[in-house]
Amino acid sequence: MLRLNNLSFGYTPKRLIFENISFVVQPGEVFCVIGPNGCGKSTLIDSILGINQPQQGTIEIGGTSLTQLKPREFAQNIAYVPQSHTKTFPYTVLDIVVMGRTAATRGFGAPDTSQRQRARDSLEQVGLKGFEERLYTELSGGELQLVLIARALTQDARIMVLDEPTAHLDFRHELMVMEIITWLVKERGLTIIMATHFLNQAFYLENASVPTRVALMNEGRIKAIGPPSTVITSDNLKDVFKIIATTGTTDEAGIHRKFIVPLKNIR
Amino acid sequence: MSPQKKTLVTIILIFLPLFFFFGTLCIGRYYVSLNDVLITLWQGLTGTRSGVSAETATVILQIRLPRAFQGAMVGAALGASGAAFQSLFRNPLVSSGILGVSAGAGFGAALAIVLFNSIFLTPVFAFSFGILAVILSYFAGKIDNTSTTITLVLGGTIIQSIFSALISLLKYLADTATQLPAITFWLMGSLASTKTADVFLALFPMALGMAGMLILRYRLNVLSMGDREARTLGINVLANKAAIIAFATLATAGAVCVSGIVGWIGLIIPHVGRMLVGNDNKWLVPASMSLGACFVIFCDTLCRSLTGGEIPLGIVTALIGGPFFIYLLKKTKGRSW
Repeated sequence: MLRLNNLSFGYTPKRLIFENISFVVQPGEVFCVIGPNGCGKSTLIDSILGINQPQQGTIEIGGTSLTQLKPREFAQNIAYVPQSHTKTFPYTVLDIVVMGRTAATRGFGAPDTSQRQRARDSLEQVGLKGFEERLYTELSGGELQLVLIARALTQDARIMVLDEPTAHLDFRHELMVMEIITWLVKERGLTIIMATHFLNQAFYLENASVPTRVALMNEGRIKAIGPPSTVITSDNLKDVFKIIATTGTTDEAGIHRKFIVPLKNIR
Repeated sequence: MSPQKKTLVTIILIFLPLFFFFGTLCIGRYYVSLNDVLITLWQGLTGTRSGVSAETATVILQIRLPRAFQGAMVGAALGASGAAFQSLFRNPLVSSGILGVSAGAGFGAALAIVLFNSIFLTPVFAFSFGILAVILSYFAGKIDNTSTTITLVLGGTIIQSIFSALISLLKYLADTATQLPAITFWLMGSLASTKTADVFLALFPMALGMAGMLILRYRLNVLSMGDREARTLGINVLANKAAIIAFATLATAGAVCVSGIVGWIGLIIPHVGRMLVGNDNKWLVPASMSLGACFVIFCDTLCRSLTGGEIPLGIVTALIGGPFFIYLLKKTKGRSW
């Protein structure tokens, strides 16, 4: 269980990026953070990752303050899938994924053969069996994202934080990521925190009967929090995004799915 | 890499420096057969007398052996530091001098030549100012208890240019008949003046630095993912960075203080290593040590045997290394690296 108590952060104390944020992420749920560009989503994610030190308030995991965790313990509790990744050296895919075992490896050494096997298993689980010796610099954006998810999965943490996991992906890879997230929660019992701009993903998860909650942020505060259907509404989007949007449902291909379509800006 | 290829490359990388090491003991204007070299080494080790002439024994034990050993250490130290800094700074174009160790060492050496003209104090000053320059770069680039890659590189660049200016100032002030040539030759790099005493002086920092880098080398993979990811993968970024900078600096300062500024090795050797063993630093750091040792021994052998005089090492490493690198680049098409 991850609990945020009255969290405030600003790069300068005078100008806070977000203020008095409190919520609890329950084990085994997907917690989506949504909101317009610049609303403080990414900064909030950075605080949960311990990259930003909050001005005020605390983040607790199972009753322990995050600031008390050593980097190694932190990585064993929270795994992170970055929004963008700069590829500098052409490591093999397996080299990248096995880095997820860094925190579980004693001393300063490299992960051993059994750890490498764990990495191979993760690759297979995200559907990239056979990619082990490929150079990760030569992968497509969608494949790279799956590799980074496999690395986080190899970390064996209970919580996985994904920052806009489908930002650069096509529909097919977006669906693959959503299927993996569904699997992670339902089969592996992980807790997921993700920031996203694709509001339909919350409906996808809700309709796939994954326990899902959405926090809608605006100007550094939480505007609404709850199940997707009660938060992602035309009225809320009108207030926060200043757009006219409409929701609907489909039963195409035997899939019951709610969706939202943005129609126009409010001038 | 397949396990078979890995084993083969490992064997080659272990034996290649030995091949170069014994090769350079034989080769020179005064040729000594491998057999005589081995007998002489045995004689030097055990003190037993043998059929080798005193002249041969002097050439091998007093001149070539310390120089070969120093060359191997210098090459290994610069190669490993280059590999470490390239991963740490996430930039394949940086070399062991990125944080100003070479510029600082150059200034220290020039200062010792101008002030004391002492053969003993020159490496001591070079070493001290090399370390000082890196400490200055580190603190110049450190902001609010973090040291981001970009501010560290900026700090290094600034400190380098300050020390370069100070070197120019000392050259300008130096006596043009004796001190100026001494400074200039020192900056070109050479192993010609290697004495057994120097070997022991520089051995400790180089060995300590290389041992540290070997221990921490897997952390370089993690650090090369960038600060955010390295942190979330479970390592203390600031402490690991500081430790690696400290070890790489010890190794480089130890090398530079006895060899002068030998460019090119810290930049190019890690790339040759990548072509052979890939990017995993578990393999790359030791491979860079092995290749660096071979390369410096090879170049230094040319330095002392091509002409009647000595050619500065820094010139030969660049003249040999450049074309060789272009050849490798064309051959591998830059792919696996």
